[in-house]
Amino acid sequence: MKELAQEVPASMSPARAGSAQLRIWTVSLVLLVLWASVPLFASRSAVDMLVFSGLYTIAGLGVTFLLGQCGIVSLAQSVFYGIGAYSTAYCTTHFGWPAPVGFVIGIGISAAIAVAVGWPVLRLSGYFLALATLALAIIGQVLFTEWDWLTGGTLGIGGVPQLDLFGFVLNTPQRFYYLVWPLAAAVLLLHRNLLHSRTGLAMRAMRDAPAAAAVLGVDNHALKVKVFVLSAVLGALAGSLFAHYVSFVSVDSFGVDRAINFLLLAVLGGAKTIIGAVFGALFITIMPRVLSQFGDIHAVLFAGCLIAAVMFLPEGFGGLLQRLAQRAGASARS
Amino acid sequence: MSGTLLLQSALAGITNGFVYALIGLGIAVIFRGTRIINAMQGEFALVGGMTASLTLDRLGLPLAFAALGGVAAGGLLGWITDLLLVRPTRRRGGTEESFLLLTLGIAFAISAGVLFLIGRDSRLLPGIGGEGSQIFFDAAIRTHALWLIAISALVMLLLWLFYRRTHIGLSMMAASIDEEGAASIGIDVPRMRTLTFLLGGLVGGLAGVLVSPLITIHYEMGLLLTLKGFAAAILGGLTNPFGAVVGGVTLGLIESLAVLSVSSGYKDVIAMTILILIMIVLPNGMLGKRTRTGG
Repeated sequence: MKELAQEVPASMSPARAGSAQLRIWTVSLVLLVLWASVPLFASRSAVDMLVFSGLYTIAGLGVTFLLGQCGIVSLAQSVFYGIGAYSTAYCTTHFGWPAPVGFVIGIGISAAIAVAVGWPVLRLSGYFLALATLALAIIGQVLFTEWDWLTGGTLGIGGVPQLDLFGFVLNTPQRFYYLVWPLAAAVLLLHRNLLHSRTGLAMRAMRDAPAAAAVLGVDNHALKVKVFVLSAVLGALAGSLFAHYVSFVSVDSFGVDRAINFLLLAVLGGAKTIIGAVFGALFITIMPRVLSQFGDIHAVLFAGCLIAAVMFLPEGFGGLLQRLAQRAGASARS
Repeated sequence: MSGTLLLQSALAGITNGFVYALIGLGIAVIFRGTRIINAMQGEFALVGGMTASLTLDRLGLPLAFAALGGVAAGGLLGWITDLLLVRPTRRRGGTEESFLLLTLGIAFAISAGVLFLIGRDSRLLPGIGGEGSQIFFDAAIRTHALWLIAISALVMLLLWLFYRRTHIGLSMMAASIDEEGAASIGIDVPRMRTLTFLLGGLVGGLAGVLVSPLITIHYEMGLLLTLKGFAAAILGGLTNPFGAVVGGVTLGLIESLAVLSVSSGYKDVIAMTILILIMIVLPNGMLGKRTRTGG
C-alpha cells in the first residue's frame, strides 16, 4: 500500500529513474513482507486495532477523496457506514441471506440515498455544505435509534455470521486482517487511478477553479454527486465488513462522533493525498489506545491532537510525507 | 387536539426558540465579526452554565454572582480561543474548512474536558423566580422562561445598538467588512476580531446561564445546541441582528408542533431537515437581504 505515496519525478534521467524504480520496488517488497508478517508476532489486540484501521481506511478514503479532490467537507459518512452495517446485519440474521447479498444491498441503498440527498445538498458549498452533512449525520443517528424494528435500536442486532471465503472462516482478527487490508489496498489503487484519469483532472479543476472547469465543459454538480456516491459506496462497504467482523451492530457505532472521526482521519492523514487515508486511519485507531494509558484525560488529549494538526499540519501526514519525499528526491538529483 | 395542548406546546416551542436564538445570536455575532462559523458556540454555553452551577454549589455564592461568573467564563473562553488558537491559524492562512475544523476540535476538547473534570452528571441551575410558573389561558409557562425571553430580547436590542451607535461596534463591523480599508483608517483589525470572539463568548455564556434552569446541562450538549442555534441563525439570516430570534422561534414552534403530531423521537430529525431545506431554499434566511458569503 505504501508504494502509492511515491512517484518517480518526470525529470529524472532514465538510468536514475531505473535505480529509483529499483529502490521503490525494494522498499515496497520490504513493506509488503512487514505487513504480511504483522499478525504472526503482534498481539491479538494489536491486530484487532489494525483491522479497524483497515476498515476506517476504506470508509475514510471516501471522506478524504471528497475533501481533498472536490473540496467537500462530508460529515455524513457515518450514515453510509451504518447503512452498510445494518443491511448486512439485517439480511444475514433476519432473512438468512448469504453475505454478498448484504454487501450489495448496503451499497445499493447507500448509493441511492447518496444520489437522492446529494443532488440537492451538494448545491451548497463551504460552511453550509459542511453543516448540512452534519445535520444528515444527526438525522441518521436518530433514525438508527428510532427505527428499532429495523436496526434493533439501542439494543442493536447481534449474531451476524462470520465471513467465509471458500470454506475459510474469517473468525479471528488475524484472518480478517488478510481480507481487509488487500481490499483497502485495492480501493486505494482504484482511487489513485481515478485521480490520474480524465475525471480526476476534472475534479481538481473543479476544486481549484470551478468557473474555469465549467467553461471547459465539466458538469461540476454532477461530478460532485458522483464522487459523493463513490464515497457513500466506500462507507457502506466498510460498514458491511465491520458488521461481519464484530458480528454485532448497534447505534453506538454510527453516531455523529464516528462521522467526525472519519473527517478527522481525512484531515490528519492529508486530504490531498490518497495514501493519507491510511495514515489517518492508523492515527485515529492507535492514538486513542496509546493515550488511554493516561486515563480519563485521553479524550482531551486526542482533541488536542486534532487542534494541533489543524493548526500546524494543514496538509496532514500524507502532505508531510510528500514534502519529505520531494526534498529527498531533489537532494538525490542535485 | 385541544386548544390548551396546542397553546402549551406553542409556549414550550417559543421558550426553546429563544434558547436557539441566543445560541444563534452568538454564532451570528462571531460570523459577522470574523466570517468564521463558530462550531463551539454550544460549548460557550456549556462552560457558562457549568461555571455558574459550580460556583453556586461549591462556593455557595448568590445566584446573581454565579450567573455573572458563568457569563464571564464564556467571554474569557472566547477571548482565549481567539488569541491562542484562531489568530495563529489565521496567520498561517487558514481556510473556511480549517476554521470550522479548528472550532470543532476545540468543542471536542472542551466537551472531553468537562467530562474529565466534572463528570457525566447533568446539572441544573435554579431559575429566576424559582420553580414558579405563570398561567395563560390554562397553559403554564415557567417564570424563568419569561425572564429568558425578556433578557434575550434585551441583549439583542443592546447588540443592535452596540453595532450601530458605538465607536467600537462600528469598528468591529468595519474590520469584518473591509479588512484593509479598516486597517488603513487605524482600526486594529486583529483586536476587533478578538473582541468579537469575546462578545460571542459572553453571549454564549449568557445563553448557558439562562438555559440551564430549563434544560439540564451536561458535557455532550454542546454540538446539538450549536447546530440548532446555527439553524436558527441561518433561518433568520446570518447578517440580520434580529434574524436569530425569528429563526429560533420558528424552529422552536415547528419542533414542538412536530412533537405533538409525530413523535418526540423525531424532533431532531425534523429540525435538521428544516435546516437543510432552509439552506437550500432560503440561503439568505427569512429576513436576509444581502447575498450571503461563505456558501
